[in-house]
Amino acid sequence: MSAQEERQEKPAKEPRGLLSSWRFIGVLFVGILVYAYAWQSTEIDLRRLVVDAPDIVHIVTQIVQPDVLTRDKEYQEVLTNFQLPCTDSPPEQMAASESEPYLVLSHTCGAPGEPLSVEGFNLRPNTRGTVRWIPPEGTTRSLAHFDSDGEGHFVEGISIPSVVESEELHQIQTELRWEVGLPYPSETARVVFDKMLETIMLALMATTLGVFVAVPLSFLAARNLMSVSRGTMVIYFVIRGIFNIVRSIEPLIWAVVFAVWVGIGPFAGVLALGMHSIAALGKLYSEQVESIDTGPIEAVTATGANVLQTIIYAVVPQIVPPYLAFTIYRWDINVRMSTIIGMVGGGGVGFLLIQWVNLLRYKQAGVAVWAITVVVWVMDFVSGVVREKIV
Amino acid sequence: MLEVENLTKIYDGGTVAVKDLSFTVKDGEFLVIIGLSGSGKSTLLRCINRLIEPTEGRIIWDGVDITQLSGEELRKVRRHIGMIFQQFNLVKRSSVLTNVLSGRLGYVNPWRSAIGRFPKEDVEQALGCLDRVGILDQAYKRADELSGGQQQRVGIARALMQEPTLILADEPVASLDPATSHSILRYIEDLNRDEGVTVLCSLHFLSLARAYASRIIALKDGEMVFEGLPAEIDDARFKEIYGEEAIQVEIR
Repeated sequence: MSAQEERQEKPAKEPRGLLSSWRFIGVLFVGILVYAYAWQSTEIDLRRLVVDAPDIVHIVTQIVQPDVLTRDKEYQEVLTNFQLPCTDSPPEQMAASESEPYLVLSHTCGAPGEPLSVEGFNLRPNTRGTVRWIPPEGTTRSLAHFDSDGEGHFVEGISIPSVVESEELHQIQTELRWEVGLPYPSETARVVFDKMLETIMLALMATTLGVFVAVPLSFLAARNLMSVSRGTMVIYFVIRGIFNIVRSIEPLIWAVVFAVWVGIGPFAGVLALGMHSIAALGKLYSEQVESIDTGPIEAVTATGANVLQTIIYAVVPQIVPPYLAFTIYRWDINVRMSTIIGMVGGGGVGFLLIQWVNLLRYKQAGVAVWAITVVVWVMDFVSGVVREKIV
Repeated sequence: MLEVENLTKIYDGGTVAVKDLSFTVKDGEFLVIIGLSGSGKSTLLRCINRLIEPTEGRIIWDGVDITQLSGEELRKVRRHIGMIFQQFNLVKRSSVLTNVLSGRLGYVNPWRSAIGRFPKEDVEQALGCLDRVGILDQAYKRADELSGGQQQRVGIARALMQEPTLILADEPVASLDPATSHSILRYIEDLNRDEGVTVLCSLHFLSLARAYASRIIALKDGEMVFEGLPAEIDDARFKEIYGEEAIQVEIR
């Protein structure tokens, strides 16, 4: 029979324009309802994206200037006295000097709110400094920032802060700060490095745990091996079922469970990621066993090889490279997961990150964010290259 | 001499693949088994080295009943029977050399071979076998980098490593083009003629069977429908074997 004849025999389609258009309108109506509800329940508010943008700019600028490197700092402090309120005998100005730094005030006594000019001489040239008010009791206040000129001179007008009046003298301080020496890794960078190492090791241990449990289980979860009898099929379904249930629970939830069980820390993270790895690797491994080519097994058996030799020469070469590839991929995933698992008590760099974010220390948080980005990128790249080599 | 007596194979599902077959193969023969797909050729060949367990019957090779052997004895017999497959059955990810060396597994110390060590003589012999089938320069490539014809030559080299006195070839050229088919069959023919290796080879094409066989048996639905010399298959015989509607296709 030719193709043409065959085509003619097919019954012509009934015209259902009306029915399908009614159906289309119904689907459209339901779709609109669903999306309207979704829009409302997810509290979408596009206005805020624009209005609140300045908030995030502040955070982002700090994150892009992470506290990675630091230099040693030196200070120059000069103090002079001020009386508040005025009495008959206000304190004297500092003695002028040829080389020693000193401050001159426009007046040495006054009341809160009055303007006051502070002038400095013989300070460190071209350096940034701060004017502070140190009351005899209570906290010091920063009043102004200034930059000394090429001769170490500055003039800065301030207004006397509303501090508690007292008989004892107040002090006005200038502090100049500058950096010396070569930059070196900051305390933050060192802590992040330590925790990043812990994160990678955490992922390594979790992957190892996953491999050791998943390899033997993968054979029990391979249909082609387990279809021998009814009993083995029961084992197959049980293990497959466990894999599916364990895999469907997110590592973050496992981390919460294990943090309660063994306490907050990297061990909880190892168990959480390990648990998920067992299920994920077990499934991938067993699928690899299922797709094994039986031809080589037949051929090697036919040469008079024993069972052990047949496994080593015909089965192992077929499953080891994909097993390795899956394992490296899993480690890669585990490194990525372990960077956030710390947020729920699973140890690693995520713990630092969430801590700094909560303390609004975004420069430090920035270091953690950058470290995670770099490590994840490197792992991704390395695992890709290695996998390509193996398979 | 290989004697097949009343061989029957019934699979678990009840399919009768081979029904009460009896024939004898003299040493040094090139016996070709022809028949349609599913006529029982593969099952017959696999029963001889017990890759498939026969349901009934005996297979006697040089006075030993292969069907009665087990374990070590069976492996000792198998190592003298080389086998070549339609799909080559190489370990694709392993090197060509390793694939060839695996033909030696029945002879070597199992523990040494388990860690991938083969005696130096075996490695030299393997390279020699590759040289003989003309692909010595491919020895260190991965098996799946080779073309189909080259892969089948690796299959032959693997069988050669066994120093076989009998070769079972299951549709050795069915996955290859006509020109390559002839070159592969010629290697097998050389082995048969120069070293006196007995060959049992199943083939689809009658023209190939006529060109290489010293004797032909034909199977249809697991039963023998012809046994004799290549020249004895005329049109009537052909239709008997392949069915009324078949047309002869020549492969030159």
